[in-house]
Amino acid sequence: MADVKKHDTPMVDELKSGPWPSFVDDIEQRGFNGKQACLDLLGQLELSYKHKETHWKHGGIVGVFGYGGGVIGRYSDVPEEFPAIAHFHTIRVNQPASKFYSTAFLRKLCEIWDYRGSGMTNFHGSTGDMVLLGTSTDQLEPVFFDLTHQMGADLGGSGSNLRTPSCCVGKARCEWSCIDTQDICYNLTMTFQDELHRPAFPYKFKFKVSGCPNDCVAAIARCDCAIIGTWRDEIRIDQEAVKAYMGGELKPNAGAHSDRDWGAFDIQKEVIDLCPSQCMMMDGNELKINNRECVRCMHCINVMPEALRPGLDTGATILVGAKAPILEGAQLATVALPFIKMDKDNDYEEIKDFVDKVWDWWMEEGKNRERFGELIQRQSMQEFLRRTELKPIPQMVKEPRSNPYVFWSAEEVEGGWKRDVKTFRARHAA
Amino acid sequence: MGVNMEELKEKVLAFATKKAAHKSKMYIKDLYKADPDASPRQIKKAANELVKEQKLEYFSSGSTVMYGVPGFGKGIEEAFEE
Ligand code: HEM
Ligand code: HEM
Ligand code: SF4
Ligand code: SF4
Repeated sequence: MADVKKHDTPMVDELKSGPWPSFVDDIEQRGFNGKQACLDLLGQLELSYKHKETHWKHGGIVGVFGYGGGVIGRYSDVPEEFPAIAHFHTIRVNQPASKFYSTAFLRKLCEIWDYRGSGMTNFHGSTGDMVLLGTSTDQLEPVFFDLTHQMGADLGGSGSNLRTPSCCVGKARCEWSCIDTQDICYNLTMTFQDELHRPAFPYKFKFKVSGCPNDCVAAIARCDCAIIGTWRDEIRIDQEAVKAYMGGELKPNAGAHSDRDWGAFDIQKEVIDLCPSQCMMMDGNELKINNRECVRCMHCINVMPEALRPGLDTGATILVGAKAPILEGAQLATVALPFIKMDKDNDYEEIKDFVDKVWDWWMEEGKNRERFGELIQRQSMQEFLRRTELKPIPQMVKEPRSNPYVFWSAEEVEGGWKRDVKTFRARHAA
Repeated sequence: MGVNMEELKEKVLAFATKKAAHKSKMYIKDLYKADPDASPRQIKKAANELVKEQKLEYFSSGSTVMYGVPGFGKGIEEAFEE
């Protein structure tokens, strides 16, 4: 056994006794295999449990040359007790689109990190990056050199930068994908390298790309600009397969719920009645969908994947402004563009034009540490539409009467808001 | 817009240096005031180039980035108080 010292950590150790695998086991194991940093980390955690406050110092000027993101400085404020984690900087590494790796890549990455860092990683952080946890300032440039020169990898985003764009598995493995999520993700990443590596904004900005409204990367809840695949023609129906589901030959939800006996499949109860827009019906033995009313929720398709498929005229819905609850509570994204074609051949110009307008407005008017969604809340949806040159449409209304954002402006009204009070009062008593 | 990048960098650096005497860390938004005629994008470009030349430095909490002038340093907590 390597020459390492485990601290006395009764409270942290208790976490190992639960029913689930514990991070404590994993970190401790790596520690006993020769990484004092891992044991010091658990020691400091114990101290934090005791004091009920963190012992990490926040932030700093660390980074790699030419980059203003990707490295997050962390220092222990009790370095005498835990010298191996006196510096404990995090490095974000931009993941490949949809997170496909070769084992050789992962092995190499782990070798670099075992040699130059704590050996601890987090796959993946909530931005999508591979997260390398804990190294000292003098190791940052060597790690960066190895990543870029040996691995063909680059740092991800942090701070007031564009954050590493991420996407669902998309067309690589999922037949529902209406757009090439990986190509879009990669294209945005390469187009916005400057914004990704150097601070540009009042706060973070995230893109996430899902291939269909199932939204496996939770773009609608987590990012400032969500790109979600959809279709504008009709759901493709294979009536024979519909009958096979009804007759029990095909398992609903591709058998995902077959661990329990839920009884015979009931298309009325399990599909038609659950359609949020009530736009499905059985016409004799035929399933009918009123596609004009369909809101593309994916429910029917998820239940009967062999019978129903997304349409063929595919594109994306663009939503903006989701965020976590720092100010004003959590917020889901709002539809900005209900449908655009995601056109590879013109380099996704349409969405990039839109994003440019979004950034211009936010960079000018956003307050320090104000997310884009908060700017819309503060300055109004109407101002958002004006600055992005969009026309108001019904899809933008959350529900009738709750966000009446369409108002006339003085320029749109003959004579503006000015009027002659005297002539008005001649007709109306004060 | 005919903004000269070298001139703009000088203005941003002069502004930041003056400001650093009483507030050592500043948001990009503070730096906009260095030249009201320049666009936010031009200012951020100038500021980022100044960092590359090591005349300014980044200061990041992980979630937000601020700019500082090397040599002027105050406590981390103070920098992130609004
Ligand atoms: C051309 C005439 C009128 C126009 C264009 C007009 C316009 C509006 C608008 C835009 C709203 C807000 C709706 C919403 O955001 O949900 C509103 C609400 C309201 N209006 Fe009018 N209005 C008119 C005449 C009147 C008259 C004559 C009365 C009463 C005598 C009236 C009583 C109300 C009331 C009580 C509400 C609030 C309803 C609620 O919040 O549920 N309005 N009106
Ligand atoms: C040309 C006539 C009128 C117009 C254009 C008009 C317009 C409006 C608008 C735009 C609102 C704000 C709705 C919102 O933003 O949610 C409103 C609210 C309201 N209006 Fe009118 N209104 C008119 C006449 C009247 C009259 C005649 C009355 C009463 C005799 C009235 C009573 C109210 C009331 C009670 C509210 C709700 C205030 C609140 O919810 O706090 N309005 N109106
Ligand atoms: S979001 Fe849709 S396309 Fe992407 S993996 Fe999930 S189900 Fe498939
Ligand atoms: S996708 Fe959703 S809204 Fe559309 S028909 Fe199916 S269940 Fe109804």
